[in-house]
Amino acid sequence: MSEFSLYLLQQLINGLTIGSTYALIAIGYTMVYGIIGMINFAHGEIYMIGSYVTFIVIAGLVSMGVVSLPIILVIALIVAMFIASTYGWTVERVAYRPLRGSNRLIPLISAIGMSIFLQNYVVLSQGSRDVALPPQITGGWAFGDPSSFEVTLSYMQLMIFAMTFITMTVLTLFISRSRMGRACRACAEDLGMTNLLGINTNKIIALTFVIGAALAAIAGLLLGLYYGVVNPFVGFIAGLKAFTAAVLGGIGSIPGAVLGGLVLGVTEAMTAAFFPSEYKDVVAFSLLVTILLFRPSGLLGKPEIEKV
Amino acid sequence: MNQFRKTMLGLGSAICIMGMTASAQAETLKIGLAGPATGPVAQYGDMQKIGVMAAIEDINKAGGVNGMMLEGVIYDDACDPKQAVAIANKIVNDGVSHVVGHLCSSSTEPATDIYEEEGVLMITAASTSPSITEKGYQMVFRTIGLDSLQGTMAAQYILDTAKPSRVAVVHDKQQYGEGLATSVRDQLAANGLEAVMFEGVTSGDKDFSALIAKLKKEDVDFVYYGGYHPELGLILRQSAEKGFNAQFMGPEGIVNSDLAKIAGDAVEGVLATAPKSFDQNPVNEARVAAISAKGEDPTGPFVFTAYAAVEVMTKAMAATGSTDTEKLASHIRANAVDTAIGTVKYDEKGDLTESTFLVYNLHKDGSKTPAQ
Repeated sequence: MSEFSLYLLQQLINGLTIGSTYALIAIGYTMVYGIIGMINFAHGEIYMIGSYVTFIVIAGLVSMGVVSLPIILVIALIVAMFIASTYGWTVERVAYRPLRGSNRLIPLISAIGMSIFLQNYVVLSQGSRDVALPPQITGGWAFGDPSSFEVTLSYMQLMIFAMTFITMTVLTLFISRSRMGRACRACAEDLGMTNLLGINTNKIIALTFVIGAALAAIAGLLLGLYYGVVNPFVGFIAGLKAFTAAVLGGIGSIPGAVLGGLVLGVTEAMTAAFFPSEYKDVVAFSLLVTILLFRPSGLLGKPEIEKV
Repeated sequence: MNQFRKTMLGLGSAICIMGMTASAQAETLKIGLAGPATGPVAQYGDMQKIGVMAAIEDINKAGGVNGMMLEGVIYDDACDPKQAVAIANKIVNDGVSHVVGHLCSSSTEPATDIYEEEGVLMITAASTSPSITEKGYQMVFRTIGLDSLQGTMAAQYILDTAKPSRVAVVHDKQQYGEGLATSVRDQLAANGLEAVMFEGVTSGDKDFSALIAKLKKEDVDFVYYGGYHPELGLILRQSAEKGFNAQFMGPEGIVNSDLAKIAGDAVEGVLATAPKSFDQNPVNEARVAAISAKGEDPTGPFVFTAYAAVEVMTKAMAATGSTDTEKLASHIRANAVDTAIGTVKYDEKGDLTESTFLVYNLHKDGSKTPAQ
């Protein structure tokens, strides 16, 4: 392969890596929106908390003398998912459920309040400085000619792809095959009717927050390990990007969130590849505006039919 | 801490009173010491006080200046611009006409207007903002280098010592980082070394893989980064993971033990311009010992710049045989003088002609050693 195509391949790998994690966070936004039609602005903070829990658990296990990396990662993943889910459930309970049925703007404000609260809570308890973790998963493959351009694919990047793929498959199966998943789909279609038919919609709504939070925790673990640094403010930017990905793909649609995340990640990487990298956000958001102009409901979103 | 500070202040004034009674017959010359003695950055004020008091003590031991004993008077501006103006007026009213300070650039700047108008000689030991000396004032000097001198220093090092073939200049789009990066790029270009890339990253960003792939494609072997440690730490870490092994260099903003925490082993050998550690200079051995003997810390970055500020003033007094500030100012401008921070020479604006920065090699344990 020529140097140019190798370079293109490298940037594609970089873009897909970051896009995968956008997708994982975007699912949390899209599921909540799909069911109650609201944006959970505290979702980015849940991702940030997932990262912190991962760091604390890994540091704790290492200091306790656990050396097996798979065991450390599995324990960290379980603990992070559990704690993040608890936060997700609490956010729903505190900021959404008491306001159910009120004007749509009110839960929006309470969610922003929740986001500010969580961010400052972490600042107070963990400090506002960067917390770093030494690289846990090192190494990778390099291919191509070292004298022209060498493409690298690290094991960490591979793990991000694999984890994203597995998570998406499990989630899709859950939504399409399980009883709970069917209830979720019913809620998304018509919340009031589902309630009349005897399904506990409060439980289903809480479940979507929990699932979204668990996925955000997976993203928190993966990105925390990938970058090795976390601070209380990472949730805001990540949340903004993931929300963009969800809107790009069509908010409310799970495959849309995945596609939106990947498109956004690859666009950013390709922009940085051929233009000064300060333009990557400009191009990414221009793309969002353009797509919404021609497809207002996003790439895979269903246009909402006004019921008369 | 507050109690400690009170005690220190008490001690300081006690020493001053003792000094006054001891030299009751000889005339005393008051040196104003303006800076934060309280507030969140009071530790910098302590550094300045340690340096000035040590200098005054040494000079008095040697018989004072022109038969006069020196006395340091502390004025607390709490690093607050409003209070700095009030303090400057108080200094004028107290008849003090030689000031070491202020400390924070934002306090020094408004205070200079008053000093210039009232003919008070002011030497700051810590303020690095270029705008302080840009008004063309006659009474304003400093014993510390400007931020912008770091760019010159880095460019010189790159041209003379590192001699890379393909240079990239990256910055964080902030005033400090982009300013330095632009100055490095321009000075390299002026000497025939055109940067192959000049690019900004977003501060707070975590993913630099696209940038690193691009640097790799351009076969860059030297990267100058203008900015702070969090972004550079991640760039270094991700470069190591992706097999990109160029030499990195940055300004004082990256010299921080957190850099090594973020980047790990990748920090080893990174170059940085940072203020010289004057306490490591053998010339200052006796002074360091004297300060340590009093239980004070001689390693602060402003201790010896403050010491030198007193020296610049008193040596000019000795040479002119006068305390008239106008005579002193023109003498200081015209003559080089030996001080604790080396030979000090001023340009027309009152800035040092030579940088007080040095190029260092950073290490993964957070320490630094001078680069050859």
